[in-house]
Amino acid sequence: MELFLQTLLNGLLMAGVYALVATGLALSLGVVGIVNFAHGEFLMVGAYLSYLLYAARGVDPLLALGLAFLAAFLVGALTYWGLIRPVLKAPELNQMLLTFGLSILLQNLALLLFGADTRVVAPPYQAATLALGPFFLGAVPLGAFLLSLALLLLLQAFLTRTPLGLAMRAVAQNRLAPGLLGIEAERVYLLAFGLAAALAGVAGVMLSVMLYASPTVGFVFTLKSFAIVALAGLGNLRGVMPAALVLALAEALVSTYVPGGGGLVEAVFFLVLFLALVGRAWRWG
Amino acid sequence: MARVLEVQGVSKRFLGLKALQGVTLHLEEGEILAVIGPNGAGKSTLLNVISGLLRPDVGRVLFLGRDVTPLPPEVRTHLGLGRAFQIPTPLPELTVRENLLVGALFGRPGRSRKEAEARVEAVLELTGLAAKAEAPAGELTLLEDKRLELARALATGPRVLLLDEVMAGLRPKEAQEAVDLVRRIRDAGVSVLFIEHLMPVVRALADRVVVLDYGEVIAEGPYEQVAREERVREAYLGRRA
Amino acid sequence: MKGVVLFLLVFVLLPFLPLGVWRAYLLDAGVFLLLYTASALSWDLVARTGQLSLAHGAFFGLGAYGVGLLEPHVGTLPALLSGSLLAGLSALLLGSVTLRLHGLYFAIASLAFSEVLRTLALKLPFTGGPIGLPVPPAFGGAPLAPYYLAFAVLAVAVGLSLWAEHSPFRLAQAACRQSEPVARVLGVRVVRVKLLSLLLGSLVAGLAGGVYAMKALFINPYEAFSLGRAVEALVIPIFGGLYTTLGPLLGGVVLVGLEQVLRLWIQEGYLVVYGAILILAILFLPRGLMGLWRRRRG
Repeated sequence: MELFLQTLLNGLLMAGVYALVATGLALSLGVVGIVNFAHGEFLMVGAYLSYLLYAARGVDPLLALGLAFLAAFLVGALTYWGLIRPVLKAPELNQMLLTFGLSILLQNLALLLFGADTRVVAPPYQAATLALGPFFLGAVPLGAFLLSLALLLLLQAFLTRTPLGLAMRAVAQNRLAPGLLGIEAERVYLLAFGLAAALAGVAGVMLSVMLYASPTVGFVFTLKSFAIVALAGLGNLRGVMPAALVLALAEALVSTYVPGGGGLVEAVFFLVLFLALVGRAWRWG
Repeated sequence: MARVLEVQGVSKRFLGLKALQGVTLHLEEGEILAVIGPNGAGKSTLLNVISGLLRPDVGRVLFLGRDVTPLPPEVRTHLGLGRAFQIPTPLPELTVRENLLVGALFGRPGRSRKEAEARVEAVLELTGLAAKAEAPAGELTLLEDKRLELARALATGPRVLLLDEVMAGLRPKEAQEAVDLVRRIRDAGVSVLFIEHLMPVVRALADRVVVLDYGEVIAEGPYEQVAREERVREAYLGRRA
Repeated sequence: MKGVVLFLLVFVLLPFLPLGVWRAYLLDAGVFLLLYTASALSWDLVARTGQLSLAHGAFFGLGAYGVGLLEPHVGTLPALLSGSLLAGLSALLLGSVTLRLHGLYFAIASLAFSEVLRTLALKLPFTGGPIGLPVPPAFGGAPLAPYYLAFAVLAVAVGLSLWAEHSPFRLAQAACRQSEPVARVLGVRVVRVKLLSLLLGSLVAGLAGGVYAMKALFINPYEAFSLGRAVEALVIPIFGGLYTTLGPLLGGVVLVGLEQVLRLWIQEGYLVVYGAILILAILFLPRGLMGLWRRRRG
C-alpha cells in the first residue's frame, strides 16, 4: 500500500510539469488555432538556457526560471511574427508541415551546437528529499509541482480577470477566420503564442534538473502534450490538469508495477487515450 | 393524394434542451409545404431529422411509405429525398459543375456518367448557373452560392426536396425568381417542404403551412387561415427575448 | 499524366542506364526512394478523404513484421502479400472505430494506435523484442530483386492513385474531405469511401514495409514503426502537391534526394538545412511543387 501511495505521489508531482507544458500547447492551439509541432522545442530552449547558465556561470536554476520565461517568450513571439503569422490563412496541413520543419531545424541545431549527450543541471539540492510521514517527496519535483500550480493559477486569473486575458478567451471562442484579423486580435495571438512558449520554457528549466537537457527532450513532451490536450478536449483549458494527472499517474504506476515497464508506459497511455477518443466520439453520435 | 413524407411524433433533446416535441406532419405528393415559426422553434432541427443527419429520440420518419428513421442520409438521398442547407456549403475546391456532378453521380444508385452529366447540364440551365459552371465553387457570390445549394440538391434527382431558408438575403427581384424556380421544380414533379421566414414568400408559394413554436406544432393549414390564429400571432409577436 | 509515365520510365530503366561509379549507390538509394514515395502516395490516397493518418508508420511496420515472421516459412511473395493484408486488417479496425473522429483527433488517435502496435512488437515473445528480427533477402538474394519489388510497389501505388483521380471516386473523396454532411446528403456513401481509402492506403504501405524489410535484412520496432516513417509519408505529399499523383512523386524525388545530397555535402547538421528548406517551402510554395508547375502553365 505504501508503495502504491508513494507511486501515486511521484506521479502527482510530475503532473504539474506535464500540465504546464500541455497548457502552453492548449493556448497556442485554442487561441491562435495552430498545431505547433515545435512546441517542445521551446521547452528545450529553456532547458539548455538553464544548463548554459549553470555550467558557465553557476547561476542557480531558480534564477534561470525567470530568465527562461522571458527568453522563451521572446523566441515564441519572434517565431509567431516571422513564421506563424504568414501561414495562419494557409491550410492546416501546411501549418503542420511548417512547425514540423521548425522542430527538425531546432532539434538539429541543438544537436550541432551541443552534441547528443544529455546534460543535467545538478545544483546541490538536486537530490534532496522531504519526508512526509512514511513517504518521500523529492524537493525538486515538489518545487516544480508547486511552481507549475502557481503559474497555472496565475494564468487562470489572467484569463478571467484581466482585459487582455478576456480578450484572449474571446478570440479563442470566436475564431471565425484565422488570419482575417484586426490589430487587436493580432496582439492577442502574439501574446498567446509567446505565453505558450514561455510556459514551456519554464518547464524546460525544471526538467533540466529533474531530467536533463538534450536535443530531443522537447519532442517527447510535444507528443505527451498533444496526447494530454486531446484527452482533455481541444479548447478545454481546465481539462488539461486532470488529463495530465491521468498521464502522469499511469506512467508512474506502470513503471513501478509492470516488470520491464519502461517501454510499456507510453503504450498504456496511448491505449487509454485511444479508447477515450473513440469513446467520446461514439457518445456524441 | 399520396403522402410522400410523414413525420410521426418526433421528439429530440439536446443536452436537456427540448428541440422538438411530438412533431407530426405530412407532405402530400405535388404539394409545397411551408414550415414557419419564430427563431429557435426547431425548424432546422426538424429538417436535420427528416434528412437523417440527426436521430430522433422518439418518433418516426416515413418516406414514400417506408420507415427511414434508422437509415443514414445518403441512403435517404438514394431513395429520393433531397436537401439544401440553410448556410450554403459549396464544396470549395471543386468547380460548380463538379459540385453538381457529385449529386448527380451519387444521388441515385446506378447512374451512368453520361446520365449524370446530362442531368448536370439540365440543372445548370434550370438554375441559371450555366455561365459559372467552371468557376471554383469557393469563389461565388452569395446569390450564386444559394443557387448552387439548390441546384446541387436537384442534381440528385429528388422526389421530395427539403429547402432551408433559401430566400434569406435575397433582393425582391431575386426572391421572385427563386419563387418561380421552386414552382417550376414542383411542376416537374418534385414535392417541396421548405422553411421560410419571409411571409410574402410563404403566402406566394405554400399550398399549406405548418407552424412550429418551441419545438411543437401549434397550427396547420392554408396560409390565410394560419395567419389569423391567435396562437400563431402570439408566437411571433407575443413574448420572450 | 505524362510526368507520371516519364517518372516510371526513368526508374524502371535506371539499372540499365550508364551510371558509372554511382551505380551501386543510386540503385541502393533508389530502393528507399521508391518505397518512401510509394508510402507517401498511399498516405495521399487516404488524405483525399480528409483522414490525416499518422498510422502509416504502423501499416509500414506491420508489413515489415509480416514479412519478417513469414518469409522464412512461405517465401517472398506470399509473405509480402500477407504482411500487406495484415496492415489492411489493422486499417479496417482503426478506420471503423475512428469514423467519427475528425482532423487532429483522428490524427492523434491514429498515432496512439501506431504506438500501441509498436509496443506490441516490442513485447510479444515471437517478434524478437527490441533487438528485432533478421529478414531473409527477397527471392533468395537475387541481385535486383529489392529494386524491382520496390518499383512494383510504387507502380501499384501509382495505379491506385491514378484510378482514384480519374474515376468518380475522386469526387466522392473530395466531397468527404470538404464536407461530410454535404457529401452524405448528396448520396455519397461516406463510410465506405473512407474505409476503402484507408484500406487501399494501408495495403500499399504494408507492401512498402515488407519490401523494406527484405532490403534492410533486419527490422526492429523502433525503425519499422517509427514516427519518422509516418511523418515522412505526409511531408512528401504536402511538399510535392496534395491530392495528386505526380505531386508525391515529385516530392519524393526532391525531398529524399535532397536529404541524401545534404547528408553527403554538409554532413553534420544537414538536417538543420533540411528543416529550413521545409519551412521556406511552406512559406513560398504553399501549394507544393505542383502549385509552382501549375502557375507556370498559367
